[in-house]
Amino acid sequence: MDFKLTDEQVKLRKEFFDVCKELEQKKPQGYVGLESNYDTDEGWKYHLYCAKEFARRGWLALDWPSQYGGKGTMMDRVFFAEARGYYDIGGADVFGVEMLAPTLLGAGNEDIKRRFLTGIASADVMWCELWSEPNAGSDLASLTTTAIRKGDEYVLNGQKTWSTGAHRAHWAFAVVRTNPNAEKKHQGLTFLLFDMKTPGITVKPLYYMDDGHYYNEVFLDDVRVPVKNVVGEEGKGWQVTQMLAGFERSNLGAIMCMQRQLEDIVKYCNETKEGGELLAKNPLVRNRIAQAACDLESARCLAYRIADAQSKNEMAPFDASAVKITSGELQARVAHMVTDLVGPYGQVKISRWAKFNGFFETWYQHHFRLNIAMGTNEIQRNIIAWNGLSLSRMK
Amino acid sequence: MNIAFTEEQEMLRKAARDFLTAECPKKKVKELEEDEKKGYSPEIWKKMSDLGWQGMVIPEKYGGQGMSYQDFTILLEEMGRNILPGPFICTVIEGVYPIMDAGTEEQKKELLSKIANGELICTMAQLDPNGLFDASGITLKATHKGDHYVLEGTKVFVEMANVADYMLCVARTGKGTAEDGITVFIVDAKSHGIHVEVMPTIGMDKLCEVQFKNVVVPSKNVLGKPDTGWHIVENVMRRGAIAKCAESIGGMQAAVDMTVAYSKERVQYDRPIGAFQALQHIMADMWTAMQTSRYIVYQAAWMESEGLPCTKEVAMAKAYVNEKYKWVTEKGVLLHGAIGTSREHDIPLYYRRAKSADIRYGGTDFQREIVANKIGLVS
Repeated sequence: MDFKLTDEQVKLRKEFFDVCKELEQKKPQGYVGLESNYDTDEGWKYHLYCAKEFARRGWLALDWPSQYGGKGTMMDRVFFAEARGYYDIGGADVFGVEMLAPTLLGAGNEDIKRRFLTGIASADVMWCELWSEPNAGSDLASLTTTAIRKGDEYVLNGQKTWSTGAHRAHWAFAVVRTNPNAEKKHQGLTFLLFDMKTPGITVKPLYYMDDGHYYNEVFLDDVRVPVKNVVGEEGKGWQVTQMLAGFERSNLGAIMCMQRQLEDIVKYCNETKEGGELLAKNPLVRNRIAQAACDLESARCLAYRIADAQSKNEMAPFDASAVKITSGELQARVAHMVTDLVGPYGQVKISRWAKFNGFFETWYQHHFRLNIAMGTNEIQRNIIAWNGLSLSRMK
Repeated sequence: MNIAFTEEQEMLRKAARDFLTAECPKKKVKELEEDEKKGYSPEIWKKMSDLGWQGMVIPEKYGGQGMSYQDFTILLEEMGRNILPGPFICTVIEGVYPIMDAGTEEQKKELLSKIANGELICTMAQLDPNGLFDASGITLKATHKGDHYVLEGTKVFVEMANVADYMLCVARTGKGTAEDGITVFIVDAKSHGIHVEVMPTIGMDKLCEVQFKNVVVPSKNVLGKPDTGWHIVENVMRRGAIAKCAESIGGMQAAVDMTVAYSKERVQYDRPIGAFQALQHIMADMWTAMQTSRYIVYQAAWMESEGLPCTKEVAMAKAYVNEKYKWVTEKGVLLHGAIGTSREHDIPLYYRRAKSADIRYGGTDFQREIVANKIGLVS
């Protein structure tokens, strides 16, 4: 057992951190995490700027096979995610770079890889995900958006929802029902790609609790998609979606984001007096912050174990679920802790009155993404219980 | 980076598991708990020394195997999983390592090979009745008189002092700050003036009160240099914390395994209780708590093995694992229902031991305070 990084890894990791630190300086005011890429024009512009900076260094295709432009390893990708997380910057399209590219590499044919990987690596094409529907959230396989084949095209009809950044993305990947008569709901689904400018697509904002525009409802009315845009085979869309389990799932980006938050909290407590005494000297404050630091370190260590296993082509699916649960719930606790810590200022949004520039007030509202998206924490617990502990499934 | 055990380490784990399963079934564990005199099995102790366990980390030239601290923690994880009452951790952590770190050549030659052979049991008399783990807690007084010292005072929670051959007694010999003026003595446990009494504790693990009344200790039995012994104690605390963490993740594994197995057998409302999602999610959280504990401990053990500074990482691990072990075993008892509260059942063994492990080498708040300092909160 050895947690040491090689000298080359240390060097490369530092390079990622150095570049991300520079990009942090250009961050628009109020930019916090993933959602800020999509809410304002400034945020989107910044996201694209960072993406181009990464693309020209080849960092959006780090662990791809060399014939598609890859030049690194899974661990390099993890270090890159750590650096982006620590500085909380945009630039890596979560849908294109993080989700679709590995899906294409795993399930796509040569033609579709050639057509779409280049745009992801160059950051010319940004993606959104059309999976959830009003009546298909955790139970995604019960989705009802149909795709009826007519010649060389499918005709799509239905409604998707909670589509992050669909109002800005250039292209979408979707899971749709190509065979409504299939025996089981997991069958008859197909995974396909289409241009968001295709006629028949209507995007409507689904405003978040803080009035931000990150998410959307997407209505599909006779949207025509070429058959050649199917990833994998028709009717095998569920298997394609399940490939996500094999992606980089260490969550080290989110963990490093919290690492930085803790450092900022320590700095604040070392500089801020309450009742004539530094917050840092308050035993209750010290205890709570130390507890968060311990929780974070435990998640970080298991996350490294996942990254190490995945880089050796071993699966650690239950570990990944464990880290997702613990890191997401920790982010919620940290947001609550800091908004408690600053007293009445815990409610202040970004403004001259705000503490931490409103950062934790934002996280107080935004942590739900970590605990709901990509399989809610309850689904993760099901995965651990059913697959990890072999307990019987719900009937 | 290679976050996996080597083949040799996995073989060690399996050998330990097989040995403990065969030699120390739970019936034996409970017998040893209830044995007020010894609390360990000399027969098992002898067999352990035949396997080289007591001398595992002792260099070969002193009769040991020269293995790493990380190897040692693999053994401890299995001991935590099975539960093995006895003086193993205190002998190695509180005897072997301090002597290896600070002992004279004569002390090493005299003591280490005998420990490796299973002939000696060691422990450290650290805590004074004030119960403080930091240096300010050390009040037992040692007075220098010619070629010897005289020890006067009381120590509590001294593990297995009832059977120990040697005690490393932490005493105050000088003035100065809390850390200064502390000396560690290697004390023959049969010295005149020592009175040992087993304290009734939740782990039934033979923590003792030891009274030192005018106990004469030769000056040559000072471990390291006089007045500078606190670093020896710090090393014991740090290695001991990792050791207890390793034991604890083994204990968590056992508690998770037992609870999941029981939930598949126990039928209520015409189905195994493990089919109820309310219980499944608790078990998933138990597993998650175990798994997030595991790698923070492995990291600490690796750093200690490599000789890297790891006070922060160890304190983080101990603070985290303390709470998780208690929580996992509490849920384990609850999910077993009423039977889980009986003396007959094995699950409460782990629940009680979790509390014992929590306190040993510093409880959660003590560790969090170390963490608070190490992450830069001004104090």
